[in-house]
Amino acid sequence: MNFQRGHRHRHGHASTTAFDYAKPIRIALAGNPNSGKTSLFNAITGQHQHIGNYPGVTVEKKSGRLDYKNYHIEIIDLPGTYSLTAYSMEEVVARDFVIREKPDVIIDVLDSTNLERHLYLLLQFQELSVPLVGALNMSDECDSKGIRIDHDLLSTILGIPLVKTVGSKGIGLSRLLDTAIRVAKGNLPTDQRHLNYGDDVEAAHNQIIALLETDPEFTRKYPVHWLAIKLLENDHDAIQKVRREHMQTDLVLSETDHVRQHLENHFKEDSATIIAEQRYAYITGAIREAVTIARSRPAMDWTERIDRIVLNRFLGIPIFLLVMFLIYQATFGLGNPLAGYISDWFAHLAEIVRNLIPAGPLQAFLTNGLIAGVGGVIVFLPLVILLMLGLSLLEDTGYMSRAAFVMDKFFHLFGLHGRSFIPFMLATGCAVPGIMAARSLVNKRDRIITILVTPFMMCGAKTPVIAMLAAAFFPKNAGLVFWGVWFFGWIVALTIALIFRKTLFKGDQSPFVMELPPYRLPSLRSVMIHMWQRTLAYIRKAGTIILAAAVIIWFALTYPKPTIDSQPIADRSGSELSLSNPANTVAHPLRFSYAGRIGRGLEPVLKLAGFDWKLGVSLVAGLAAKEVIISTMGILYGIEQESPAATEHSDLTSVGYQISRDPAYSPLSAFGLMIFTMLYTPCLATLVMVKKELGSWKWAFFQAGYTLGIAFLTAVIIFQGGALIRLIF
Amino acid sequence: MTTDQSDIIMPNLAGVPTGRRFRIKKVHGQGEIRQRLTDLGFIKNEVGSVIREALLKDPIEIEIKGAHVSLRRSEARLIDTEDVG
Repeated sequence: MNFQRGHRHRHGHASTTAFDYAKPIRIALAGNPNSGKTSLFNAITGQHQHIGNYPGVTVEKKSGRLDYKNYHIEIIDLPGTYSLTAYSMEEVVARDFVIREKPDVIIDVLDSTNLERHLYLLLQFQELSVPLVGALNMSDECDSKGIRIDHDLLSTILGIPLVKTVGSKGIGLSRLLDTAIRVAKGNLPTDQRHLNYGDDVEAAHNQIIALLETDPEFTRKYPVHWLAIKLLENDHDAIQKVRREHMQTDLVLSETDHVRQHLENHFKEDSATIIAEQRYAYITGAIREAVTIARSRPAMDWTERIDRIVLNRFLGIPIFLLVMFLIYQATFGLGNPLAGYISDWFAHLAEIVRNLIPAGPLQAFLTNGLIAGVGGVIVFLPLVILLMLGLSLLEDTGYMSRAAFVMDKFFHLFGLHGRSFIPFMLATGCAVPGIMAARSLVNKRDRIITILVTPFMMCGAKTPVIAMLAAAFFPKNAGLVFWGVWFFGWIVALTIALIFRKTLFKGDQSPFVMELPPYRLPSLRSVMIHMWQRTLAYIRKAGTIILAAAVIIWFALTYPKPTIDSQPIADRSGSELSLSNPANTVAHPLRFSYAGRIGRGLEPVLKLAGFDWKLGVSLVAGLAAKEVIISTMGILYGIEQESPAATEHSDLTSVGYQISRDPAYSPLSAFGLMIFTMLYTPCLATLVMVKKELGSWKWAFFQAGYTLGIAFLTAVIIFQGGALIRLIF
Repeated sequence: MTTDQSDIIMPNLAGVPTGRRFRIKKVHGQGEIRQRLTDLGFIKNEVGSVIREALLKDPIEIEIKGAHVSLRRSEARLIDTEDVG
């Protein structure tokens, strides 16, 4: 390579500064979305990855370590961005990381087939005055597209070493690492000069630099050249940095405003645009010199050929629905039986423990609390793994953006994004993977709204509850009632989404504009790594909390136990016990538990919706998982059950039989109960997932509260409204 | 720069028929949307073409700077264009 030749003299004095081999070289990997950055990262680090979050934000931080030649290398995967503005969390994270953590070198991954766009980000990293290497990735695709890059020349023009790579095939990696190491050690100087923005901008720029330099403390912390450009661009985060930390805040900011105004008046254009146009003009010039595109373009462009069908005006939606159906089938069709095996296995394990340990609090804790709790975490694993497989396939092939294109119009009517469909669709299986899927929504506000309404879908756990009630109270129209409730969930989800968009996120315009990347075949390795990482993250982060919550709910349903003499007294004293229904005369221990007390305490309020304390207890228990509503009702009616999994079917009908004979309920209150079950607070696993995905308990609590409010209000309206109608007619 | 009302009469990208090529004369809008458009190559004098539209004629797909980009018509309205065939 040319730049290596050009710097061969380095061998003469490379050793003058002793290099500390024990200290890891820190490489930050940057690049546009769709630059192949992730597959390059996977190819370099393999399994040795760590996934966390950048401090204080939900932006995922992936890092990896490897030993290469004599060096310890730490690679940090920066979020994929098009630019380094302050408009998205990802961009702020990327640039702050570079400024604060000062990695030894940045590798910017570029799509060789679309350099014009990708060099735009490279230039912005160059402005940050950091040691930089460009990876001309996907270089194999250049040949087939007739693109020839004189990368020595391009490297000379830009003043940045460039290395050809093919991340998906692991080509060029050692050369990339060698180059990065040399840059990191200072043996291969990269050009820190920046492009010339033209006399007027340069003059303004220099004025701002002079102002910034009045505070040496400040200039030590931030690259002045970069910050001056950002101030000219009216970047709010840069202004914030000056406001907080510069000695001469007012002077700097007012002068900057003045200089910017002057420029904008002169060019009759927004300052950020003036600068952007200069960058693009520079790139166009560099490409004109170093890149040639064969005139005879290849006969077929696969992406365009596929899109002609996939994005066809009339075929687009049917194809999308077919793809969704396949993903749904793969996730739940394959996942549910596996989940069934897992829960059977845990039931079996509990049985073994029951035989080993004498009955008592310890046995109860181990079997009903701990084992059931761990089972409740593990049971989601097949779904999580399969979903992650499906999602990474959709994302990595490039279909996800097409799905958004096809579905956007409909969802936009309700203030949502085309991609919101995927969480909704998955939540009809289980809200946990549904909420995980919302991470494909790039915009935070879209993501929040989608996550807040996703649990209104009819999930697999609500299905048996609704079906049982429909069959018990509406035997003639059970199917119709069931689908009515299902549809009602959708209506509520879309309506609430629209309300949130108009209130909580009023005036926020989330741009839809996005790239439709070329279709690519993801490497098996990348997909597998992705799947494995997500699964681990689920177990580590959500698993522990779900387990704790399950144990707490078990405790609330079990303790305190009724004392021997309190039981008959309580039995006699309860006024509702005078009713003739056998269920109410059963003094089940549940009545005396914390959950039972909550249920009874809530009864006066629940009466408004036509619910009694038994439903109160069951609905509280349903917070652990919605299907628990049935088994709790079963316990309350004194239905014996050996193993919940084995007797589920007969159990279901017998609970339905009992509940339909209970004079406490009418078809009207049962309908209210169905709607309530459909809408009320999501199960704890879902709430934990919401916390994990949105990064704070605030949203999880908000969701728990507002859904409860809506559910209760709707149930009361149904019950009272129905009673009123009956009164009138 | 803020949008001048007089600019409204300019033909914009939302009105470019499928299959036509256009040259960008000016990009309006501010803040995030403006920045996103810039990032994806919607800048003055750039030539692109309208590839297709979704079922309800929205969003639309554009080829620009050698890549395919999708945007809503409301966003396309921010981009003044002239027809270049």
